[in-house]
Amino acid sequence: MAGNPQIESEGYTLEPMMLAVLSRRFEAICREMTNGILKASRSAVIKNARDFSVGILTHDHRLISVEDGLPIHITALDLTTRAIDRLFDDIGEGDAFLNNCPYYGATHHADLDVIVPVYFEGRIMFWALVRCHHADMGAPLPTTYLPHAATIYEEGLHFPGVRVEEGYKSKADILRIGLTKIRASKIWLGDYRAQLGACRIGEQRLKELVERHGSTMIEDFIEDWITYGERRTKAAIASLPAGTWSYATKHDPVPGVAEDGIPVRVTVTVDPEAGEVTVDARDNIDCVPGGLNLSEATATASCRIGVFVNLDPSIPHNEGSARCINVLLRDGCVVGRPAYPVGTSVATTNVNDRLINAVACCFAQMGSPHGIAEGGGMMASGLAVISGDDPLRGGRAYVNQLFVGYSGGPGIHGHDGWLTYNDADTCGMLMLDSVEVDEGMYPILIEERGVAPDTMGHGRWDGAPAMTGIYGPLAAEMTAIYCSDGDVAAARGVLGGHDGAPSCNWKRDGAGGWTEMPSFHTEICQPGEALRFLAGGGGGYGNPKERAPERVVETVNRGWLSAERAEATYAVKLRISEDGLDYVLDDTATAQLRTSNGD
Amino acid sequence: MTPRRLNCAPATATERVRFNVCIDIGGTFTDCVVADDAGTVEIFKSPTTPGQFELGFMDALALAAAHHGLELPAFLATCERIVHGTTVSTNALVEGKTVPTGFLCNKGHPDILTFREAPRKRCFDFRLDYPKPYVPRQMTAEIGGRIDAQGREHVPLVENDVRAAVDMLQRRSVQAIAVCFLWSTVNPAHELRARAIVHEMWPEVSVTLSHELNPIPREYRRAISTAIDASLHPIVSAYTKALAGALEANGFDTDHFLVATCTGGMMPPDAIVAKPIFSVMSGPTLAPVAAQHLTNAPDVVVVDMGGTTFDVAAIRDRRLIVNDEAMIGDDMLGIPKVDVRSVGAGGGSIAWVDVGGMIQVGPQSASAQPGPACYGLGGTEPTVTDANVVLGLIDPDDFLGGRMHLDAAAAEKAVGTLGQMLGLGLIETALTIHTTSNHNMIAAIEDITVMEGINPRESFLVAGGGAIGCHIGGIARELGIRRFMLPRFAAGLSAFGGLISTIKWEQATTVFSIAEDFALAAVNEALVSMRRKGAAFLERAGLEPETHHFECVFFGRYEFQSWEIEVPFDAAGGQLVEADIAKLTADFHRLHERIYGVKDEEDSVEFVSWKVRAFGEVARLKGDSDRVEQTYMPASEGQRTIFLSDPETPLAAQFYRTKNISSGAVIDGPAVIADDTTTIVIHPGSVATADENGNLVVVQA
Repeated sequence: MAGNPQIESEGYTLEPMMLAVLSRRFEAICREMTNGILKASRSAVIKNARDFSVGILTHDHRLISVEDGLPIHITALDLTTRAIDRLFDDIGEGDAFLNNCPYYGATHHADLDVIVPVYFEGRIMFWALVRCHHADMGAPLPTTYLPHAATIYEEGLHFPGVRVEEGYKSKADILRIGLTKIRASKIWLGDYRAQLGACRIGEQRLKELVERHGSTMIEDFIEDWITYGERRTKAAIASLPAGTWSYATKHDPVPGVAEDGIPVRVTVTVDPEAGEVTVDARDNIDCVPGGLNLSEATATASCRIGVFVNLDPSIPHNEGSARCINVLLRDGCVVGRPAYPVGTSVATTNVNDRLINAVACCFAQMGSPHGIAEGGGMMASGLAVISGDDPLRGGRAYVNQLFVGYSGGPGIHGHDGWLTYNDADTCGMLMLDSVEVDEGMYPILIEERGVAPDTMGHGRWDGAPAMTGIYGPLAAEMTAIYCSDGDVAAARGVLGGHDGAPSCNWKRDGAGGWTEMPSFHTEICQPGEALRFLAGGGGGYGNPKERAPERVVETVNRGWLSAERAEATYAVKLRISEDGLDYVLDDTATAQLRTSNGD
Repeated sequence: MTPRRLNCAPATATERVRFNVCIDIGGTFTDCVVADDAGTVEIFKSPTTPGQFELGFMDALALAAAHHGLELPAFLATCERIVHGTTVSTNALVEGKTVPTGFLCNKGHPDILTFREAPRKRCFDFRLDYPKPYVPRQMTAEIGGRIDAQGREHVPLVENDVRAAVDMLQRRSVQAIAVCFLWSTVNPAHELRARAIVHEMWPEVSVTLSHELNPIPREYRRAISTAIDASLHPIVSAYTKALAGALEANGFDTDHFLVATCTGGMMPPDAIVAKPIFSVMSGPTLAPVAAQHLTNAPDVVVVDMGGTTFDVAAIRDRRLIVNDEAMIGDDMLGIPKVDVRSVGAGGGSIAWVDVGGMIQVGPQSASAQPGPACYGLGGTEPTVTDANVVLGLIDPDDFLGGRMHLDAAAAEKAVGTLGQMLGLGLIETALTIHTTSNHNMIAAIEDITVMEGINPRESFLVAGGGAIGCHIGGIARELGIRRFMLPRFAAGLSAFGGLISTIKWEQATTVFSIAEDFALAAVNEALVSMRRKGAAFLERAGLEPETHHFECVFFGRYEFQSWEIEVPFDAAGGQLVEADIAKLTADFHRLHERIYGVKDEEDSVEFVSWKVRAFGEVARLKGDSDRVEQTYMPASEGQRTIFLSDPETPLAAQFYRTKNISSGAVIDGPAVIADDTTTIVIHPGSVATADENGNLVVVQA
């Protein structure tokens, strides 16, 4: 197929053309569901930053299609639909279920799943699912992320597999729980409705698809498609060296939860002959007394993500590819299966991103051209949850997570890091907030937002530089809550690549003076005051002195790198062009510099 | 050259005959399709003249005039209207030949064009380079000053920043400047003042202001459309002025000269010069418009293979697919556009051997100059057309109705040289080029059908373009498409679309209110004003009031949504009354449920903006159906030896001329049907039937 690797036709029931057409049809249904949420939702975290995912699973919980979602949302989706199946014995057509409980397969309390069974001829054929991140789920503090919440009793609302519609009729009492306990609940309700609508659209389209092609052909397709995913994954693993590699990283200290930080170490074993990778995350500390523990869904997903970023990205990420990866987790472990009622409020980001980076960087231990560097630190105040009352809207309360400034992506063999990366669990799949959408909806002003020069991890292939910016309240007091990991331990480079710049947070007072802020923090800003964030730079891949000099010149001319650093770090000598406008390469001096550097 | 006629009415040069004209400039040929008021349609083709497109444009008109025994001014005096489809802006964008452009943005926000809304990529994929911004950072200038969301001035404009920027951009030799400030849609004062300063210092540079071009929220979409528009401005301006000037010099009233837009509408020359971004893909957009008129099939794949590019569009449920998030390279266009995708594959595509020893065809093209080797204009590299000559599909002595003689020896030499590099025989090499080219086009068709979940096998295919006749049989066979149409005017499909298309105009006005506090007077004022402007546009373009009709829509949303949905409504006499408000609200809820699966009747509806579309119906052409009353087998005019699959097995193809085929003719493959604009190859096992309009419908076994 166009732009796709050859599909081997042997062993499939369907002919290659139909396999391709139907796989695109499933993707098109996901796309329509995605578009529905994007366009019909209300809160900026969903409509502006795209912090949601959709999925379609088989009746027996095998993932079919997900290619456009957030990795952390979609890589272990089966756990949440399995829970619904297990919890109810009277599921019927027209039902819809809520689930945001990590002890029933959800990621963390802020990711609310809406799940509907899709019936054909009286039996469930699919599960259609939409998972959206809600900035507020009724937590004690107006935020998504509660690093100090040691148990779920300190978190927001849990809907542990709750039927919210029956026979296509909404249950007002269930919705009333959310409307009563959630701040800015009208926006929450609008977002929930957008999710439900997308599920119903997905349900309708899936039924049309089965009616058009017949259930036999669709069932054959599913088996073929999953087989295809498995074959492609095994082929990719077969091209890797055999062996076992380990990598360790560490989440920054969190006062009151983990004074010395949270170390994360993993071991990856590759068996090219069997086409299998085993990720062992058991050798880690027990759960911490706070919200930084992973849930089973995020720990499982993260071990898979770390492998997937090292394989051919055109492989379909379905049940077939997932089963080539053995994930070994431990009960009661900070990156494993937490014991009820341990808190997992921050399970999708922080320690989770460290886990993904650790798995991904194991592959760099194989040597060039394998592996990838660490991605930039996450959750500086450019991703704060902001809240307050909006005097421009009659003092109505608002709560929203900003997605204004992202960390830089990791360097990889052959390519510099991805600029709008944000973090390992989203792999650059979020959208970046539009300044006008944020300012149009909330009483804030984003004074600045841009690339921070000299923040990338230098390498033969650079990590991406971080973003920096300044924002503050325009009309009334604003509370900002954030969990900035990477202020201490920045993203590390691999194979001679340098580390990215650490993240940092500051506040400007009314007189214009700047103060550095703590990493895990709640800050109240008055009008005239502002917060400044610097996200983390991505780690570099390979020795920067081997970087193509032309690329160095280009990076300097676009304002990302200073000429001084070009010389000191990359051994590239620049001079000003004759028209005085740009830097150009000084070939001779560069050659001398690189020779005298003795490598 | 001899024209082709839709019916048998004789073409006479009387004063009373009025003509409608559409001219589509492609990469290789300029197509001119002419209809008279009796419904007779003719097509004329003339080589495109890059650098001075107006020459080829006027050449094509001169051919039409000559056919009617008229001098050009006399012919133009009888023309009601000239619609024009152009690829000038598309080519500039695709080839990176737009003018160097400066970008002025707010201080503190220099990376809007770099960040975009975060570019889409594949999940888990890091093996790719982050795309470069449309305007390099060095040509981006940060200007102090800030308007907030309520339109209040938070920081006054720093005028010296603008002056410094102009100085820097002059030194960098830009030719256009794009200005996009945050919230200029709410308060444009800073953008307006910035332009005034630029023009004080540098009166001749063109400046595009975002709030004037594309007043939408979301700064990236507005900024990128502004930057693209600015970078096209000098090119489209010079181009349009040259065309309009040439028409005026021959006495044509350029009020009746309309340029097709990417939204499926038309604009007069002054409007397209003011907003050149709307001319992107203007010509190719007319091909699906033509197909809509040629068939009643619900799902249609429309392809158009010219000398340089292969364009694909789809019609779904009889509607054109409009894409609000159309991409041009790594960027959004920022305005809605009919979804037509283009790849570098055409008759002029050059065949070459890559480092791995594999044959590749295109995307480089020999274009009109020097053209394929067989044109004898200096081209030496083998093209798809050269391969088709070698395969016997194109008769060198009968190309374009014998008007152009091809050099078969030059084609054989070019193809043979490539064959030697591969160790292949002449025919085998030509077949490889032909088939590789087919597969490039198949990939493009799959991109818009399979990728969208449309099964091409269940679609009808309408094939246009001068080069398509030799290839469509093989392409359809490979895709498993059983039926396809080669329209009578396949060689000028886009131009034909421009001729039969309704003349369209649209405008939107923002009047914000909620249902509970509806701004009835302001809305009506906007509706009346837009309707008046639409009618004026149509009248200026020569369409009488009785041909006009109007369509009204509003863009509504629930509170806190940031995207609106388009809701059509009827307004008797063009205005709303109090009682209509409840109906508008109910229609919004209903449509929201249909599109997004949910509604909330307790929520308040925000009416954001209002749009009026004005349509002027052009005279219908005769018999645009594909009925066939009686069939017959026409007499063959000889035989040709052609190769289609096996280099060892020449096929004896019956030969026909289109002008000797009439309605109901049934032709079994293998066959070659030639006329003065194209050559059509019917594969063995396929059957072609001519309908009463001279369109060929081919059914494959």
